[in-house]
Amino acid sequence: MITVDGLTHTFGETTAVDDVSLTIDDGEWVVLAGPNGSGKTTLVRHFNALLEPDAGTVRVNGTPAADQPVAARTSVGMVFQSPRDGFVGATIGADVAFGPENLGLDHDEIDRRVDDALAAVNLEGRHDERIDSLSGGEQARVAIAAAVAMEPDHLVLDEPFTGLDWPAQRSVLEHLDDRHAAGMSIIVVSHELRDLLDRADRVIGLHAGSVRFDLPPDAARDRLPEIDVRPPP
Amino acid sequence: MLTYTPGSTLVHRLDPRTKLAVQFAFALVAFTASTAPQLIGLFVVGLGSLRLAQLAVRAVLRAYWVVLLILALGPVLAAVTLGPPWLRLDPALVSLRSIARIVPILFVSAAYIHTTPIRETRAAIQRTIPGRPGQLLGVGVALTFRYVPVLRADLRSVRDAIRARNGDTRSLWERSQRLTVLLVDRALRRSDQLAIALQARCFAWNPTLPRLQFSRRDVPVWLLSIAFVVVAVVDLLGL
Amino acid sequence: MAREETASIDLVDAETVRQLSVAVMLAALTAVLAQFSIDLPGGVPFSFQPFGIFFAGLLLGPVWGGFSISLYVLVGLAGAPVYSNAAAGLGYVFGPTGGFLVGFAVAAVVIGAVAHRSLTPTPIGSLSAIPTAIALLAGLVVIYLIGLPWLASVNGWTLTRAASFMALFAVGDLLKTAITTGIVAGGTELFADRR
Repeated sequence: MITVDGLTHTFGETTAVDDVSLTIDDGEWVVLAGPNGSGKTTLVRHFNALLEPDAGTVRVNGTPAADQPVAARTSVGMVFQSPRDGFVGATIGADVAFGPENLGLDHDEIDRRVDDALAAVNLEGRHDERIDSLSGGEQARVAIAAAVAMEPDHLVLDEPFTGLDWPAQRSVLEHLDDRHAAGMSIIVVSHELRDLLDRADRVIGLHAGSVRFDLPPDAARDRLPEIDVRPPP
Repeated sequence: MLTYTPGSTLVHRLDPRTKLAVQFAFALVAFTASTAPQLIGLFVVGLGSLRLAQLAVRAVLRAYWVVLLILALGPVLAAVTLGPPWLRLDPALVSLRSIARIVPILFVSAAYIHTTPIRETRAAIQRTIPGRPGQLLGVGVALTFRYVPVLRADLRSVRDAIRARNGDTRSLWERSQRLTVLLVDRALRRSDQLAIALQARCFAWNPTLPRLQFSRRDVPVWLLSIAFVVVAVVDLLGL
Repeated sequence: MAREETASIDLVDAETVRQLSVAVMLAALTAVLAQFSIDLPGGVPFSFQPFGIFFAGLLLGPVWGGFSISLYVLVGLAGAPVYSNAAAGLGYVFGPTGGFLVGFAVAAVVIGAVAHRSLTPTPIGSLSAIPTAIALLAGLVVIYLIGLPWLASVNGWTLTRAASFMALFAVGDLLKTAITTGIVAGGTELFADRR
């Protein structure tokens, strides 16, 4: 469970996140909607202690993320926008293993996690392929596998569909459905809600760093123009 | 171009630490060699390592052609004098003896490159250099290897963008400034992303180190390395 | 994951991660620029590699700048084709031009130290022309001070012969220090948001 309480984050003069409070339960599928610059990315980076709050707290499973970053980062898996810039290994296997290695797990457990994570995104047995030789869709799946290998309770995806063609988007969505069915909570940050509304339990609308609404998808749909997000057809 | 090629030769199966040790030991002994029999010995070892790694001599010569060209210029330029007799043989021979030592070192290091993936060298660094420096250098090597193709693509796109705006017609000064600034700027942006990505994956000082295991195969190569060092030391001390 | 299992994990602090990331990118950039040159009139190649070394020192200071270029040298030793003409390996480093590679790493340290006069770098935007130019020239001197005797020794040449062989390249390198000084001190807004 992620609990955000009165979170404020400023960059110099700009307030990116302004007194935000919200809760995300285990197993939920939540969409964080908002236009560019609404503070979505800044907000979710607090979920695993990649940023420190100027005010307020973020608790992951009851523990303040800023005090226990390792606990937050193993409970909240993060998939970044444009995964190409977030890979830390040259090959699929090396990249996915990086997180589990940092957790100090033994080699058998690392191998098991990498194999399981790759199987979860249909990339089993492709450990030695170079990441640069993969398509955008495959790279997106490797990025998901890398987060899944930490065996998190929550999976946060920041604009996961940018630059992906329709089959690749569909494939990513299907893998997210699988993770959700396996009990993970899924948090998707996006300004493009096609295919997301009918999956989500809740839509949280963000505008200028503040939560404008937190509603079930049907009710949220009508209020999307209010936060400058185009309602899906 | 010489790169790692998967295979199952004896050299492929050696521990990377063993291969690094024998390379350095061989280079050391090569620099003490000066007589013809010693030089022949170096070539025997160099060619032998290529043979064991199943790497063609031609491929190595092609990969190092610029280095070999500069080496070949050694005796040629050494022989030339400004003024009579214009060409002198003695300095050319000195140069020839000197450059002949380098070629076998190139052979041995080519065998290393051909048989050792980058991740094994990285593992060797992390397992040999203790503590934080070893961790930073090992991870740094792996990350640098990963980002070279990404930045190569950046270079291509920046160059094309400059070309598309007729930047080619500008002076060398302006062109190189623009290209450099754009590239450094992109590299810095990427470094911000990379830093976040590393932290999200719990980048730690004390991770599980990559698997490496010496085997019985490594023993003779270590003995050979020790022999090289002994020969070099004996020669250096003039014993 | 339970908290007791995570307690032993010693996270790398954010500042070190940031410096390492910049060092990695400048090492990779140096590798890419080593393969890139413009042919000047007369066919002399104008290599872009020194720019990578210059900026490693100027942006990162002596410690991390030196670390960055050491990474570049190490990746080549490990077998990635990152040296000039896509070469790699210990044999190249011990070869005639290997001294310049070693010189690059030392030069990054010297450039960082002279430009910032401290182990920790000041923002690149605050460097002015004269100290920048002096730092880059000092770096260049170091590169040739190590590279030339190395070349002379491997090829069995006198130092003068090695120096005259490299003279044309030195002219190009001097031009590169001027170009880089122009970028840093020329009020370019491109690095303005860099701390």
